[in-house]
Amino acid sequence: MSRELLVLILAALCYLGGFGYAVRSLRHGTYRPGRWTLLIMAIGGLCQTVFLHWRGREIGGCPMTNPFELLTFISWSIVVLYFIIGPAYRLSLLGVFTSPLALLFQIAALLRPESLAPAVPKSTHSFWGELHAALALVSYGAFALACAAGIMFLLQDRQLKQHRISPVLRQLPPIHYLTRAIRGLLITGTGLLTIGIVSAYRMEKLPPASKLTIVWIVWTLYASLILYESWRGMSARRAAATAAFGFLIPVISLWFIGRH
Amino acid sequence: MLLCLGLSYARTPVEVRERVAVPGKDLPDAVKALTQLEDVDEAVIVSTCNRMEIYASSPSPSTAAAHVDAWLRDRFHLGSEIEFFQHQREDAARHLFAVASGLDSMVLGETEIFGQIKDAYAAAHAAGTTSRELNKLFQESFRVGKAVRNNTSIQRGSTSVGSVAVELAEKIFGDLRDSQVMLLGAGDMSRRCAQSLQSRGAKGIIVSNRSHERAVELAAEMNGTAITFEEWPAQTAHVDVIISSTAAPHTVIHPEQVLPALRRRRGRPLFIIDIAVPRDVDPLVHDIEGVYLYDIDALEALASETRQRRENEITQCLAIIEENIGSSPLFRPHHPYPPQRATLADST
Repeated sequence: MSRELLVLILAALCYLGGFGYAVRSLRHGTYRPGRWTLLIMAIGGLCQTVFLHWRGREIGGCPMTNPFELLTFISWSIVVLYFIIGPAYRLSLLGVFTSPLALLFQIAALLRPESLAPAVPKSTHSFWGELHAALALVSYGAFALACAAGIMFLLQDRQLKQHRISPVLRQLPPIHYLTRAIRGLLITGTGLLTIGIVSAYRMEKLPPASKLTIVWIVWTLYASLILYESWRGMSARRAAATAAFGFLIPVISLWFIGRH
Repeated sequence: MLLCLGLSYARTPVEVRERVAVPGKDLPDAVKALTQLEDVDEAVIVSTCNRMEIYASSPSPSTAAAHVDAWLRDRFHLGSEIEFFQHQREDAARHLFAVASGLDSMVLGETEIFGQIKDAYAAAHAAGTTSRELNKLFQESFRVGKAVRNNTSIQRGSTSVGSVAVELAEKIFGDLRDSQVMLLGAGDMSRRCAQSLQSRGAKGIIVSNRSHERAVELAAEMNGTAITFEEWPAQTAHVDVIISSTAAPHTVIHPEQVLPALRRRRGRPLFIIDIAVPRDVDPLVHDIEGVYLYDIDALEALASETRQRRENEITQCLAIIEENIGSSPLFRPHHPYPPQRATLADST
């Protein structure tokens, strides 16, 4: 087994361990967003960073040449955004939902046949092309975190409406913080995706029309949501539901991009 | 001999309790009416948002219970489907001691009931419907209530309506320092609830009451702002928590008042605590997205979780009560304690 796969498996194990620890302590009502969760997540993120660095040097550019690398990059983006966004919105517990998401993408990446293939050095380099791909994927990471925050909101909203709060959900972040985080993540993701799309049009050779179309569809979904919310106002619950279920579109788009 | 008959939140929904609530101003007439009944010598009515209980002294408790039962059904137009609990002799005293100790309260160990029992007893005493037996019973209940609170940790933690409200507010808004609170009605319970929120950092209090003078008074006490009762709907867009406890016999907060305000809140949730009986808030308000309405019964469900965690304390409290029942002169056979007219000062 290559050292690249080893660090990625280690990253996956870190996310699995972080998720297991958080769920166990939540069930016992003893969860404290502290050093251990952050440390485990940080080790996982570091492992992925090391992989991306090695792979980037091998291929001579951003490692986003196949679905294995794309999915790993998204998983890494989710963790990096968690460390940036979490403290900003006082959402340390977002890690509970971030770790399974990062784990999911990392496992999906490891299961791809390309994970066993050697890196293929790039023959040509396009600054705008790499910027386009990198920003698009980081924006997907933001949408993934918005999805996690949306699920947390919906779970709590449901319990508050039913006039009962389970000991587990009692420890989740306040729903108003989640509302602000969802809005912030959607704006961040859409902003990054906008720059990514603009970058695509600066490339000497445009990406395939099918890929551009799918990225435009994703952009339209989130931009419409933000515009509608700003213009007409939207209940926090609907925004959370859209962020949670709307993430299916980026997931489908990834599947589509992977096939083409 | 002692008799206790009534209903409480434990088995009776708020829809029924609000029908049998006896406002403070009606208490003197009500207790006098009770003592007019056959076989009822003395009477005290404890009427709060969680319970309506009648304590009576009678030479024949069973006969008196039948008369009181009929009186209640007639006065409040209740059908036969409504059942009252009934305790006699030691069981009646045991029940009152438990109530005074906060053991039978919706929020276990809450102390507000202690003051409410004192008020109920004072009203009956002033109306001249208490004498030897009930005076002794209520004095003992005050003593037992204090003993339970002083000798156990039944009061620790979130055991008051205010604490539960604060916990929910923090679950919704997080840090309350950015939250504005509006009080509808200037009742004691809503004041305490607002004070709990204030103690956790709520930045502003707005008080609205039908009696504007009372609103101004309460607002001054809480460093808040008083507005007229007609002005409160316009404030809904700017406040985060509404605590409603008006004495209105009908609902005062309706969906059509809340919906326009929500559009201007831009997704910020609204937490409404309805501690009034009869309820102030139309239950349909809870169906609006972004609005979390908790009435007395809803708070009870959350309080019961705390109750579960304090089973050991209850056991200890009950032991204190049993000890006092055992030593009470009320239940010593043929104990000829002298007639007395107790005063509230005796019990403090």
